[in-house]
Order: sequence, then C-alpha cells, then structure tokens
Amino acid sequence: MAVDHECSCNKNPLVPSLCKVIAVKQETPDIQTYTIQTLDGKKPFSPLPGQLAMISLLGVGEAMFSITAQGEDYIQSAIKRTGMLTEEFHQMQPGQEIGVRGPYGNHFPIDDLKGHDILFIGGGVGIAPVRSMIRYAFEHREDFGHIDILYGARSSNDICFKEDCLEDWPKQPDTNVYITTDVPSDDWDGHVGFVPSYIEEVGFKPEGKKVVLCGPPIMIKLGSASLLKLGFAKEDIITTLELRMKCGIGKCGRCNIGSKFVCLDGPVFTLSELDELPDEK
Amino acid sequence: MAGLTEAQVQDRIREEAKKALATGEVSAVVGWTSTRFEDKTKPYFAETEAECDLLVWNKYCINGTGKFALDDRYPEKKIAIIARGCDSRALNRMLRDKQLKRENLYIIGVVCDGKENAVCEGCQHKNPLTYDVLIGEPVEEQIDADRFKEIEAFEKLSPDERYEYWAKQYDKCIHCYACRNACPACNCVECYADQYRTGWQGKAADREQNQVYGLTRAYHVGDRCIECGECERVCPMNLPIMRQTKKMLKDINDLFGDYECGLPDDAMPILGSYKLEDPDEFM
Amino acid sequence: MKLAKKDLNKALEILSAGAIVFAPTFEMIEDKSEGGQTMAEKKFMPYKEGMFIALDGPNTVKPPKDILFPNVEKMYRYKTGVNAEIQEIIPEDTKKILFGIRPCDMRSIDSMDKVFLTKEYVDSYYAKRRENVVTVAFGCTEPERTCFCDSMGIDPNNAPSADVMMNVAKGSNGDAFILEAYTDKGKELLEQIKSLDGGAGEAQRDTKCQLQINKDPELDKKLAGMFEHPIWDKITKGCIGCGTCTFVCPTCYCFDIDNENYGAEGCKYRCWDSCMFSDYTRMAGGANPRPTKKERLRNRYMHKLSYFNERYGETLCVGCGRCVANCPSHLDISEFIEKATAADPNAETYTDAPGKEA
Repeated sequence: MAVDHECSCNKNPLVPSLCKVIAVKQETPDIQTYTIQTLDGKKPFSPLPGQLAMISLLGVGEAMFSITAQGEDYIQSAIKRTGMLTEEFHQMQPGQEIGVRGPYGNHFPIDDLKGHDILFIGGGVGIAPVRSMIRYAFEHREDFGHIDILYGARSSNDICFKEDCLEDWPKQPDTNVYITTDVPSDDWDGHVGFVPSYIEEVGFKPEGKKVVLCGPPIMIKLGSASLLKLGFAKEDIITTLELRMKCGIGKCGRCNIGSKFVCLDGPVFTLSELDELPDEK
Repeated sequence: MAGLTEAQVQDRIREEAKKALATGEVSAVVGWTSTRFEDKTKPYFAETEAECDLLVWNKYCINGTGKFALDDRYPEKKIAIIARGCDSRALNRMLRDKQLKRENLYIIGVVCDGKENAVCEGCQHKNPLTYDVLIGEPVEEQIDADRFKEIEAFEKLSPDERYEYWAKQYDKCIHCYACRNACPACNCVECYADQYRTGWQGKAADREQNQVYGLTRAYHVGDRCIECGECERVCPMNLPIMRQTKKMLKDINDLFGDYECGLPDDAMPILGSYKLEDPDEFM
Repeated sequence: MKLAKKDLNKALEILSAGAIVFAPTFEMIEDKSEGGQTMAEKKFMPYKEGMFIALDGPNTVKPPKDILFPNVEKMYRYKTGVNAEIQEIIPEDTKKILFGIRPCDMRSIDSMDKVFLTKEYVDSYYAKRRENVVTVAFGCTEPERTCFCDSMGIDPNNAPSADVMMNVAKGSNGDAFILEAYTDKGKELLEQIKSLDGGAGEAQRDTKCQLQINKDPELDKKLAGMFEHPIWDKITKGCIGCGTCTFVCPTCYCFDIDNENYGAEGCKYRCWDSCMFSDYTRMAGGANPRPTKKERLRNRYMHKLSYFNERYGETLCVGCGRCVANCPSHLDISEFIEKATAADPNAETYTDAPGKEA
C-alpha cells in the first residue's frame, strides 16, 4: 500500500515535539485513552486513519501506538498496560508533558474502501486503530455503503470505547453493531463467544463488502479463516500489524517482515499482501 | 596422546556418536567439524549417521561444546556432548547451577592433551570428569604452578596503572556479549543485561557501560568460573577477560583455601553460600 | 597524481590542517606488569604527527562505519517534569577525511547512504556527518584469506564511489601511490597536496581475492523462496547468539534508541544494535517473532543476501570477511552462500553429509 505522510524533510524525524496530555480516560481496567495537544493548544499533526504516533515519556521511554481519533485541536491514543513502559504511561495525569513524533506508516486504503459496504472487526485493544477508520467512515457517511461493526472483548468490563460501541455507533444510519464477550458476566446480556465463531454465526455476505480487521494475532489468524470460509477474498481483508518498532522511519531495522518494514510500508496490509511476506509476524 | 592417535580418537568419536544416535534417545551429537580453513573447526550438531562422519578431532577443536546443551532447556530427547575435560567441567557447572538435568545429557568424554589454544597450557583437567563413555586412556594430571602468575604480576601495578589499562581495554569493547554467550557459567535463563527495560545495563558501547557490564559479569561468574578461557578466546577485540575472573578466583583461593569449579562434587559457589567459619576481616 | 610513500605523512599533515584525517594505524595498549605484552589493534584513528599509516596488510577489525554512524549518537537532550524541554543535538560540523578505506568498506558506505538518505525519510544525523566526509579509498594489496569481495561483485582494486582512489604505482614496489580524483570533493583534496605530486604513473590494479566462492548470481531471488527451507535449522545450530558478526560488519546499520538519565534531565541516544540479540524484536508483552537463533540468523543472512536486494537493489554483504574471521563459532557466510547456491530450494530435508541431500 502506498505510503503517504506529511513531508518532514526539513525537520529531524527522530526528534519529538513537546506535547501535553490534556485528558485521561479510563476505558477498561487496563486501557486508557489520552487526549494529546501541542503546548500551545494545537493538534500535533493530522494523521490519516490507521497511522501511528511515537509517544515518549521523557526519561522513561517511547513506543509506537495507533492513533484512535482526532479532532480540531487534538489527537487521541488508547494504550493498554502490557509492560513496564505502558505501566508508566498509566501513571500519567492531565497536564503531563510528553514527546510526540509522527505520523508514521501507511493508512487504511480510504479510496479503495469508498463506495463499499464495510465490515469492521476488532478484538480487545485492537479496536483502537480500527476506530480511527470507523470515525472517518461516519464523518464521511455518504462515501460508504452499509456498515457492520463486530467487536469482541474479554468480558463486559473490558469493552473499550463503551459509549461508541453500546450507544453511539448502533444509532448511526445503516449500521449494525455486534458486540461479544469471551466470558459471560452478570451485567452482560449480549452475545458471548469468540470473534471468529461470531463472524461465522452472523454469516456476513462478501458481496460488495470490504473488511477492516484488527486484534491479537490469534484473532487475526482465526478471524481471517472465518472470513475466507464465508467467501471473502484475501485482497478485501485489511488488517494492521504490530511489531516492536523504534525509529518509525524504516531505518533501525527491527520491524521488518521480509523486505518490508511495518513502520513504513505498514502497519496496514491486506491479507493477500501478507501472504507474499515470510511467516514471521 | 596416551594409547590412541588423533585419527583413532576421531574414529572412536564417530563410532560413539553413531551408537548414541542409534539408541533413538539422542537428538544430536555436539562435536566439531571442519571448515574451509585447515586451522579452524567449528561446533557441529551431527543428527544422522552420515553426519557423524563429519565430526573431526584435531588440535584445532577448540570451541567449548558444553554450552550448547543449554540451547534447549526442555528437550524432548537427550543431547550428546563430546566433552573434553573443560567441556565436562562446563557441564558440571550448569548441572550444579541447576540449568540442566543429567538425564537429558549423554556425555562422550574424550581425553584431551591440549589444543592450539593458549589457555590449554595451564590445563589441570585433561581427563573428562563426568561422562557416560570415555574415549582414550586417562593421563596423569598436572598442577599449574603458574595459575595465578599473571594476576600476581598485574597486582603489583599501582591502582592508577591498572585503571588506565582497563579503561583502554573497555574503550575497545564492542558490547557484543560473545564472552557471556560462550561462558558456561553465564547460564541464567535471562541475563540481567537483556532485561533492557530495567535500566540496569545501558546498551551504549561506551567505556562506562562496558565497564558496568564487564564488572557485573566478572562478579557474577567469579566464584563459578571453570577457567575454560572461552570468554577470552571469543572476544573479537581481544580483551583479557580471564584476568578478571582469575583475579576473583585468586582472591577466593587466598581467603578460603584451594578452590576450583566444575568438579563433579562441587559445593555451593563460595560467594553464594555462608559459613560461620568464613573469614571476615573485611567486615 | 603520484605520491611517494615517504611523503605520505607529509600529505596527511597538510590535509590535517583543514579536517580530521582518519587513517588506519595501530593503537597500542601497554601492559606494564612483569611479562605483560603490548597489544596492538588496527583501527582508524585521527591523524597525529608522525603516526604510522598501516595501509597494507589486513583490514581493520572494526570497519570505519562509526565515523558516519557512531556506536553511540546522542539525538536530543530533554528535561522531564513540569517544564519539560526537548533540545535536538546536531552532530559537530567538522570536515573529516576517511583515508585508506578499502573498496569493500567504501561499498558498504554506498549501502548505508541508501538506508539513511533514501526511502521517504532522510536521517539528519547521518546526513550531517556524511556531507562532511571526503573518502580516499585504497586498493587492496594483500587480501586476507577470508576476503571474498570480488565474488560479491566488488573490485578490490577500485572503489567507484570514493572521492579519491589510491593505488600502488605500477613498478614502484609499493614505494609510490597513484591518486585519482573521482569527484569534485576529491579534486579539491588533491589540489591541497599537489606540491607533493611526483608526476604521472599507472595504478597497479591486479589484486584478486584469496577466497573465490561459488555464488548463484540470482541468489537473492532463490533465497526469497527458501524462508522455510530446512537448511536454516542446520546452519544456525553452532551460533552462540552474540553480536560479533553484526558489530564487525561494515554494512550492519540497525540501531536501538534508549535514554540516559541524570535526575530530571537526560539524553536520548541511539546505539548499534544486533538482530542476533533476543530483545531485538521482543515485544512489550514478551512475545517474540524471532524466538531462537535460527530465526535471528536467518533474518541476518536473508537481510544481507535477499531482503536488501529487493528493497535497495544491491546485496548487503560486501565480502570483507570480518564476520568470517571473528565469529566465535567460526560460522562462515561465504560457506552459507555456497551451500545455498548448491541447495535444492524445494528440498524437504537438509544435511551436510555428502551425497545425502534429499
């Protein structure tokens, strides 16, 4: 997929700009969303859906995250606590100054998606990158056909972006939202089961439809298998990958899959593109 | 060598390797094979009968074989190791440190009268100490009177002279961890230096971080070093790494009496255990 | 121009007036203890008056890549806390002359140029250092037994991308050199030392590598189809997973980024990293797409011999032989190239034993 990013030829691409966190929202017990602005109250940059930002807690470390949403004067990133660095991120309070650089990577193929029905599938925190595309689709509603959103979380407690999933998105025109949890709980009367089997259960029709899929590796693998079983073509299934990244500009080496770099040539790939690459994801 | 020629030992190694594989209990036999250079061999995993014929025995078989037993900590089958005295001490080291299980090893011991490797000159254990089958007649062991000669000479320098020497050495270090990876005493499941998020070990190859690494490693292996010399041999920048571990061993010998590691009846590493009668002048 | 060997130091003296001249020499570390031996390491060092210039003989243990891509590059300073700050660190604006670089190492700089200066982003640090460097390459006279650059398509006598090419003068028995400028930067450099010009002469360019290997000219494409080949299991077994091959390699350019903190202040630096290390690709949750040395060494060889070709159109192994000479386990990329050339790409099993390849 073509890379399309803001030219940073005049600026050192490895040095972040100083920004601040203006709001912290606890999405689930282990996911927080940060709203980020430049120090003078502006939007750090204007990412396209699916692009990444390198966020650094000065003195602690930096890591690559997907940008989940953006507004006039902010970007947002949802971060799950998985290691020592994200543990530190989760201590952040509004007003925290951080370094931000980006946007990095390619983006969801908006032009290819336009004019199609879209099936969005997310699992766990994997809904974060998908959300940037969902929001884009709703902001440009007339460019897209019918929209389905299928989201799976571990339990009802772990549903990320609850208002979106349970209230806002279901109200959108010509939109169906399917939420499932891996395990039942007393406060959950919705669907229980894993994403791949729910995909088959709903039985989405492949005609005129493209899929945007993101979640843990096992869900991407099994979810894709379910979609293929339903007759979807590999080039119509679009996913976004996560590997360890450091530089974000295709130089430092570690995020390669074959000759491609996830930070530069990805993170968005179609399944048919992934098929061309070595199995090392 | 006592009794057998080099070629005969090589034949015996191949024969024992084939026997080991034929039992079906062994996944591979680790020994040496030739390279395109006559004076170099490389570690080799023979996995089939035909591959056993690629195993060689000559004066250039210098790489340690023992450490390869750690490649798979939970093996489905045994691994066979062709072990000289030093390799058997390496295996004892890892067994003592509870990183290996004896029942996962099949040790083909080979009596060794030294290789083209400087460290072999001071070898005190030409006979393998632990083995399942032995190739060659055991020879009489020698005591290395010069075991700490180099350390004693170096200790005579002033602290400034010694610091200057080591500072220059650590300026050369490229932080490749070859010494650690070749060392049988460096057998932690995860090295502190690889726990990159803890901030214990910086990754920059500058004097400061190289010294932190070198000293931490020296202290960590100091009372468990089997004196195989692999650290120094593998160092691409030729740092005299043994000088640190030997300094530790010399001090231990001075303080606690005769001390040598990698023997079958090894006690707890001396700095990792406490006895009431331990010397305590330093406290 | 022709430069007499006895004038070599004079030439470097003149050039040192306007630049730091890095030239191959021996650094000595003296062991003052009784019976101690002085160690010598061949390396590129800034020229000092009277320095011995070690043009001939074996190449340096470490390649001169650190002059463009230092082992540790400080990127920016920061202050943490309420009044956080970020301040970019720009490499010093110093002219440097890289004198006596071998054709293999010069070719590795071409590769690094492609990495750091092309494909969407320009790396500011590298770019700054690169524009300040003038290269004077020296045609090999005594290749080592591990040298195989000509099998990798490199001429040990000539470095086309150097600013100045220097060879032994024909018939001079090594007592004179012929210097030829290939670029404007090179012409300027020769202009500075023209007072030493001993007239015309012909360059001696007949060196051949000692090690000639059998390499499939299309090996990059063949390897692209061999990712799952059983050869990887076999050839990676002896590896001990250290970073020696990567750090002595002139083309290995991968880096890590880390912090160095002093209280509420600190510095972000990048430093050489090795794809042979376990934490290179390990993710925050602990998952690792390259969990063992097999995947890591496969990636290293594939990067050198196939991936880089696909991305940048050239092989990333220049045949300098440093990894061959320095690998603790005596693994040999040239041997791998020959084995991969001979291998059946569709084989189900692989063995080194003769006549047994399935």
